[in-house]
Amino acid sequence: MSPAIASSSPALPAVPGPFVQLGRSLTADVLKLRRTPALWLTLASGVLPVLLNFCIFYFKGHLMLKPGADGWVKYASMSWQTAAVLLPLFVVLLTSLVVGVENKAEGWKHLFALPVGRLPVWLSKLLIILGLNALAQVLFVALLLAGGYLLQALRPELRLQQFAPPFHVLGVLLGRTYLATLGIVGVQYVLSKWQSGFVLPVAAGMAGWVAGLTLMRWEHVGWIPYAGPFLTLTTTPFKAVPGLVVPAVAPHEWYQLLWFGAAVVLGYVFLRWRNLA
Amino acid sequence: MNTAPLVETTDLSFRFGERPVLHGLGLAVPAGSIYGFLGPNGAGKSTTLRLLLGLLRPGSGTVRLFGHELARHRVALLSRVGALIENPSLYDHLTGHENVEATRRLRGLAPARTAAVLAQVGLSAAAHRPVKGYSLGMKQRLGLALALLPDPDLLILDEPTNGLDPAGISDLRLLLRQLREEHGKTILLSSHLIGEVEKVVTHVGVIQQGQLVFQGSLAEMQARQHTRAQLVLETACAATCRRLLPELHEATVAAPGTLRVPFHSREHTAALASALVAAGQPVFGLHCEQPTLEDTFLHLTETTAAQ
Repeated sequence: MSPAIASSSPALPAVPGPFVQLGRSLTADVLKLRRTPALWLTLASGVLPVLLNFCIFYFKGHLMLKPGADGWVKYASMSWQTAAVLLPLFVVLLTSLVVGVENKAEGWKHLFALPVGRLPVWLSKLLIILGLNALAQVLFVALLLAGGYLLQALRPELRLQQFAPPFHVLGVLLGRTYLATLGIVGVQYVLSKWQSGFVLPVAAGMAGWVAGLTLMRWEHVGWIPYAGPFLTLTTTPFKAVPGLVVPAVAPHEWYQLLWFGAAVVLGYVFLRWRNLA
Repeated sequence: MNTAPLVETTDLSFRFGERPVLHGLGLAVPAGSIYGFLGPNGAGKSTTLRLLLGLLRPGSGTVRLFGHELARHRVALLSRVGALIENPSLYDHLTGHENVEATRRLRGLAPARTAAVLAQVGLSAAAHRPVKGYSLGMKQRLGLALALLPDPDLLILDEPTNGLDPAGISDLRLLLRQLREEHGKTILLSSHLIGEVEKVVTHVGVIQQGQLVFQGSLAEMQARQHTRAQLVLETACAATCRRLLPELHEATVAAPGTLRVPFHSREHTAALASALVAAGQPVFGLHCEQPTLEDTFLHLTETTAAQ
């Protein structure tokens, strides 16, 4: 008996909803992260600033802390300062590495030949980057606290145990710094998608990072996405300053949201209408 | 069998910037066929297949799959299609199993499909090795596994024999035949070598410089071979024979003692032999030479290129 030939038919298969498609894309993208440099970078990136400052305090802390000074504030603010300088570079690298997984495999043509809308594919990668960025920053704070407690135990003469860790400021900084990296994520995501090589997006990101640090005193530096994390740190004191009102979201963080939104929407519009291969 | 084309393009055109790539392409792939889409490198095969998958937007014309317009129902239609476009898109840092698993998750298929397609392409034993250690042929088979994953009604394969050794090519032919004969699948595969696909295809489309120069069943293609068949005549002096007999005016002198004459019929052949003998010319040999399918393919592509 000859088999039934699959033929043209008026009945179209049901299309899963956009959230189902997004969920499927996410589970696939999570699997693709296995053994990638992007995942290792996320897990290890918080170690460097904490380790450097831990060593500084372990070996030279007695010279740095004035009698009666809050060692936790000093240690946490120095660690965050290092992190805030490095964070834009981390986001640039992370974004390029995540998108690079697809670029290297020439995976985009495969993805867009599958029964999945372009928006879920676009958003899924973005959510992965956002998730890894959040994970890295939470891990950094956890390591920072762990390092502080270790200092407390190993160097009691620094008197960290006499003060409470600055949980509130760390929490505020964590949330606002995350906001302050979103513009970098948006810009770098679009750059990495449209430049299949690794070098150009990273070079553009490094140029932005240098510009952000160099122009820190410029009155419009808030518009430079790569300056965001450091600006957030400078506008969030670890100790209350009389008369200074710390906004829930600073202007430069709003600009970051603008950059993020504009880049992601523009990137999707290009993806929606451009030829893909 | 339903004779409506499963894949149909109407007046399909495409250009990369200012460079036109396809002109008014009217592809018609019958349901249940293995359609060999043939053409030299750069003729527009991959571009056409990318248009069929919605990766490129046509400049003009339409693409219909399963009777529905691709531009309007891309996601729904692609759920019935499996594709391998040029080099398979593989993640080197993942194992073969993980590569298939990633696509399975994206398609929302049953977990058992991963092992099933890996077995189908003979990669079960190597499934848990990283793909970066795979040979070219293994990568090609893994790409095929990805295409087979949804048990598609339509399989689109762009140069699927790339990197396969003779045994791999033979296995692929067997698999394609099984898919068509036992499971009723429609397969559209492109190649620049007709010899690689002629043993398996039921239909052929030949593209040259972005235009379809032939489309039809393999039997129709073979009929073209017959019209281009030639008689090879071995005699003492080819030039003398050609001068003596009006029947030989259209002949070409291939060598001092060899003439080539277009084959018309068996009766014409017999009449020619008699006329030569009657004219006192010796006939040392007379046989009919049919061009191979590859010759016909080259003739089609070269003729169009020359125009």
